[in-house]
Amino acid sequence: MQHMVVSQDKLLAQMRRGTLEYCVLALLREEERYGFDLVRALAEVDGMLTTEGTIYPLLTRLRREGLVSSSWRESPNGPPRRYYRLTPKGERALAGFVEEWQRFRGAVDRILQGRRER
Amino acid sequence: MTATRDRLVEEYLRRLDRALRDLPRDRRREIVQEIEEHIDQALSELGSPSEAEVRGLIDRMGDPEDIAAEARASLDLRPRRAGGLEIAALVLLAVGGLIVPFLGWVVGVVLLWVSPAWTWWEKLVGTLFTPGGLSAAFAVGVLGIGLALPAGAGALLFAFLLVAPVASVAFLAWRLRRAEPVAG
Repeated sequence: MQHMVVSQDKLLAQMRRGTLEYCVLALLREEERYGFDLVRALAEVDGMLTTEGTIYPLLTRLRREGLVSSSWRESPNGPPRRYYRLTPKGERALAGFVEEWQRFRGAVDRILQGRRER
Repeated sequence: MTATRDRLVEEYLRRLDRALRDLPRDRRREIVQEIEEHIDQALSELGSPSEAEVRGLIDRMGDPEDIAAEARASLDLRPRRAGGLEIAALVLLAVGGLIVPFLGWVVGVVLLWVSPAWTWWEKLVGTLFTPGGLSAAFAVGVLGIGLALPAGAGALLFAFLLVAPVASVAFLAWRLRRAEPVAG
């Protein structure tokens, strides 16, 4: 493993901190989902989720900030589940992030490219 | 195997509950319940999970302290740590007036209002009960300062001046232990 200024764990944690909630919003863009489902989808992305439990307080925060709303649905076998969906405010926040992210990613890519060409 | 798995899960949920102890009760219950349901569902999908699988699942849920930290952030909780400032405030509110007459208590009041740890009305209670702290009781009871009251009323006042500052400081100390969502 090549040397990194910051350990890989820390690096991932830093990058994750800014983006995780927007990934949650993005996952809700297509359809409403419940907690377990969201965790599963995020867990499929390598490095995205180290602490599955923190998704639940995160969802509460997004609810409190008005970015998502939730409703209870009966489930086929077991207790009712809380389903989350994007609010219009959440859609706007996500759109804003996507724009910023693409700009930021482009800028970082350019800087990284620049070093290599030299 | 089910017994072991139940025990492991119970133990984890208990640790989680403890880590969340400074949160409002309904928030705390909600998180523990959501995570318990999550674990239940994950286990049922695994069918008959081995102990290793159960441990792995619990590991993936994460350290209760991390979850608690995220929960506190999600509620925008005011830090309620009893730091030096808070302790000094409480001590001076109670007995500051006895060390440096009146001024000692005033410094306690200043520290009280400067500290971020209490709400506006908590600070008001701490200030109004009782001006001077215990030194007021001292002034009335020992020095007999300027009160022409019948003996019964005087004793009552003295008792009040003794109890009120202690009660209000105890109240402030108690409030420190409970983190609450910031209203403003």
